[in-house]
Amino acid sequence: MTDAIRIRDLTWRAGKEFALRDLSMTVPTGAIYGFLGPNGSGKTTTIRLMLGMLAPEHGTIDVLGHAMPKFAHRALAKIGYVPEVVHLYSRLTVDEAMRFHKAFFATFDDAEADRLRRRFGLREDQRIGALSKGESGKLMMLLALSQRAELLVLDEPTDGLDPVIRREVLSALVEYVDVHQATVFISSHLVHEQERICDWVGVMDGGRMVAELPMQEFRSGIKRLRVLNAPPTRDAMPFSVLSRDEISLHHEDWVVRGWQPEMREWFQRSGAELREIQDLDLEDSFVELLRGARGVTTEAR
Amino acid sequence: MFSRIDSRSPTPIYAQIADRIRVAVASGELRAGDSLPSVRALATRLRVNPATIAQAYRELEREKLVEMRQGAGTFVAELGADTRAHEREAAARRLVREMLTEAARLGLAPADLRAALTHELPETQ
Repeated sequence: MTDAIRIRDLTWRAGKEFALRDLSMTVPTGAIYGFLGPNGSGKTTTIRLMLGMLAPEHGTIDVLGHAMPKFAHRALAKIGYVPEVVHLYSRLTVDEAMRFHKAFFATFDDAEADRLRRRFGLREDQRIGALSKGESGKLMMLLALSQRAELLVLDEPTDGLDPVIRREVLSALVEYVDVHQATVFISSHLVHEQERICDWVGVMDGGRMVAELPMQEFRSGIKRLRVLNAPPTRDAMPFSVLSRDEISLHHEDWVVRGWQPEMREWFQRSGAELREIQDLDLEDSFVELLRGARGVTTEAR
Repeated sequence: MFSRIDSRSPTPIYAQIADRIRVAVASGELRAGDSLPSVRALATRLRVNPATIAQAYRELEREKLVEMRQGAGTFVAELGADTRAHEREAAARRLVREMLTEAARLGLAPADLRAALTHELPETQ
């Protein structure tokens, strides 16, 4: 088995307003896959489909070699899931929550759970209802990591947590990945966090997958170019233009995807001059990619 | 040594980590036989993908700056004086290249830079 998650031509609709269309996704085994997208782009819905909580109208979903949702019970035994919203009974204590969770997972590791509990500074007798947001976040991560899952599916795992707790949670996650060689699927709009740990990126917008590629390619292939006497956009360009902005009378800023150094020559041949090539960080690349996908370009006259 | 790893920098994280170690080796902060943190320990500390740390270490191993011993860890290799000097020179050049890129962005002329550098350097140079 080479892919931990494989989705093909997935379509799912909720009324007229919202749909996932022709979604395909490949998460290689052992990858830390960052699932990016603005709020409402369909990330959580995709996760729910992936875990068999919703059934697709069309298309196939395979997770850890099991077809979903039919064989969800087999896949879910090997998946640690941290949902966006805490779903624990508020009257349970930390210790009870751990034992409750253990009842569902044969692979649950008591010693590991206890080690993480100490590391995260949680007490056994604390009531869930009285935990702070950060403490609940840590408990959710503790439960998922103690399952010794092959695949971790994390939906906004650090959203709303303070920086100290975010670091604790991410350190524990990175350590887990190295010890267990697990695959991680992590959905977030905290782009800089993803940039550090992910080696694959999938970008969603409006229910579609806009881009899916290795992190390094994503970062090295998107550039901002300062162009003098810019030619009009044509079909036969060696790169794809995500956006163009007029800076002054003769200068334009282009953001392009699929950039290679040897493409410099193309500008000379087109009678233009390439003045500067700027690297973009992941957040800028992400924003530009969405702009491009939505067709928000300011065309030159 | 690894305190300023910046995920927003255009330099990939593995290259930043490798650079830090090269500089530490060149300056003598790390000496032959010193052990580097394990991949797991460093990944956990910096909260980066373990594969990224491994990539940095492999690159340094290819350059023969470190030795990876199976099961024991990663150690700084025995280096000749000329290797050390070469690394210092390379580190200095990297720094200057970064400065030049930034200066070009700000529209500074080479003369401006030369004047500023003379001003900032201690008299003994």
